[in-house]
Amino acid sequence: FNGGWQTSLRSPVLGDMVTLFTFCAEVEDTLKRIQGINGVIGTIVVNAEGIPIKTTLDNSTTVQYAGLLHQLTMKARSTVRDIDPQNDLTFLRIRSKKHEIMVSTDKEYLLIVIQNPAE
Amino acid sequence: FFTCINIKQSIHQKLQAFFPPSFSTNMFVSLCFVCQAELKKEPVPLQDDSDLEKKRREADALLQSMGITPDAPVVPTHMSPTAKSAGSPSEAGSQDSGDGATGPRTLHWDCDPSTLLLHSEPGYCTLSARSPSLLLFQTSRERKEAEEEETAPPQPEVEAEKEKPAEKQDEEAPPHELTEEEKLQLLHSEEFMEFFDHSTRIMERALSEHVDVFFDYSGRDMEEKEGEMQAGAKLSLNRKFVDDRWSKQRVVTCLDWSPQYPELLVASYNNNEEAPHEPDGVALVWNMKYKKTTPEYVFHCQSAVMSAAFAKFHPNLVVGGTYSGQIVLWDNRSNRRTPVQRTPLSAAAHTHPVYCVNVVGTQNAHNLISISTDGKMCSWSLDMLSQPQDSMELLFKQSKSVAVTSMSFPLGDVNNFVVGSEDGSVYTACRHGSVTQKSYPCHLCLANMLYIKLELWNKKSCNNKPLYSFEDNSDYVYDVMWSPVHPALFACVDGLGRIDLWNLNNDTEVPTASVSVDGSPALNRLRWSQSGREIAVGDSEGQIHIYDVGIILKKKYFDLNTLVIAENSTDRPIY
Repeated sequence: FNGGWQTSLRSPVLGDMVTLFTFCAEVEDTLKRIQGINGVIGTIVVNAEGIPIKTTLDNSTTVQYAGLLHQLTMKARSTVRDIDPQNDLTFLRIRSKKHEIMVSTDKEYLLIVIQNPAE
Repeated sequence: FFTCINIKQSIHQKLQAFFPPSFSTNMFVSLCFVCQAELKKEPVPLQDDSDLEKKRREADALLQSMGITPDAPVVPTHMSPTAKSAGSPSEAGSQDSGDGATGPRTLHWDCDPSTLLLHSEPGYCTLSARSPSLLLFQTSRERKEAEEEETAPPQPEVEAEKEKPAEKQDEEAPPHELTEEEKLQLLHSEEFMEFFDHSTRIMERALSEHVDVFFDYSGRDMEEKEGEMQAGAKLSLNRKFVDDRWSKQRVVTCLDWSPQYPELLVASYNNNEEAPHEPDGVALVWNMKYKKTTPEYVFHCQSAVMSAAFAKFHPNLVVGGTYSGQIVLWDNRSNRRTPVQRTPLSAAAHTHPVYCVNVVGTQNAHNLISISTDGKMCSWSLDMLSQPQDSMELLFKQSKSVAVTSMSFPLGDVNNFVVGSEDGSVYTACRHGSVTQKSYPCHLCLANMLYIKLELWNKKSCNNKPLYSFEDNSDYVYDVMWSPVHPALFACVDGLGRIDLWNLNNDTEVPTASVSVDGSPALNRLRWSQSGREIAVGDSEGQIHIYDVGIILKKKYFDLNTLVIAENSTDRPIY
């Protein structure tokens, strides 16, 4: 693996476990940083099947957002591709009266961020 | 736990339906209790020792047949007590382990007296419905999980699990869920890394932008907002400025905001009758930016200061007009609190109180205009105050002198101005011409007539009547001023401590917002800040109150048939 791995503590037995841990810490830090931005309500990482793998929201909300937005993103992606097969969806931004939902997508994963734009 | 068991007969009946006859309810309940105790490795109070031993052995045997040894850690999980146990129509009550979950070794029990739910982390606790000896009440999700992993021994990745407490928060997904190790795998796949790096980069940029492209100036989107926000404006007290030594017991005679530093406010005060040894005239410069409660600069002079202003193109100078007719100049670069320059007390200058001072003009060509109550208007150069550059008597119809109490120059105009006099009339005057009482195009002015009524004059009207008269006040109105930013908004203060905010677009009968100052002092002066977001109010006790003004625009606007509410310098209305 290149990038993102820190092998500071390399104990012979737990070596791999620790590298695993420090990488996940980076992901955690980044998500925490995003979550800490003023106005951000929640952050969800969803995999290709629409299953949330990381979230800062509660159970039911996460499941709801992940499912619905996954479907919507698929539809949006197919729309973009239908118009131009060489093209692909990269970012989706839904602005409603109360919130703004931003979906960044790449290689079938989704990063969903919900924010309150008034703040 | 004991209490729970003893009380619920019905539970036992229900349990009977599911247990094989050989397995008594009591056995089951105690068995579970023993299991729990065993796992917690705590001493268990029991009635019967031999019974306990027997039960313990049976429990061990049962658990081992499932693949759980008493040493295997079992991870508790949060589970909804209202679980949809698809396969178990009847549920018996259970109780939360009395001492609370002490860690990964406790089977978690739900407190609901009508259900018995064995909560367990899927994959770890394999108390399965298929087992003939032990009961499983699980949600459909759990059951499926249990079915899948019934044959597999519990995974040892629970160690890794403990080290990443954050991942315990991961939620399940409706159709199927990922186990912890699957999620972990995903999280450190190269594909995910690439995606994550790219996406978070863009997301952080998008989140840091603060432009709101949706703002609606017509206020239509405000209509749907709930709460107590009404169209119009609201006033809220920001802070108070008062100085124990210099401003107490003096009346605030004038206020002015600095054009260069919007946070600076100069206030002039007249004499303090209770302190005859202190200077009669005081001017204090207050600072809004800092929380310091003392004035930025203290200036004083021998005669009561009736008007004060920041010199427009000289950020260091403060001009004051005094009761004696002298005009004084303070400089904050000098270390003196007394004026650096003074006009002479001669007939060439003023001999009556100077109520208005104003710097008009441009950077290269500007003058200080002062008008005293005897109707004399002088024009000075700030470099040389020893004699006026120009002076004239304001005479109406060439004979009657105008006792000026207030003066106002329209924006951008240096020659024509409006004065209000003691007799309650409003006059327009020209610096190089005569004084007329006729109206002047393209200007609206508010006149405070005889301290009782507010009147709105349109300089366009030919007859000498005000356009509108505001009669909502119960007391003398001491000062009035248009908002510098909102075309239809003005504020006025009265002698009973009330500040009224009028929005002509909303209502001309009643003020849009009104607030009473604490203690109801007589409010003498009012001044909008340049941003139009604050109002400074001076009272008769030497206090200055700064109010924040929040403006909410309403949907429709009011329009008098000949009145154009908003004007800019090109004479075209904004609304």
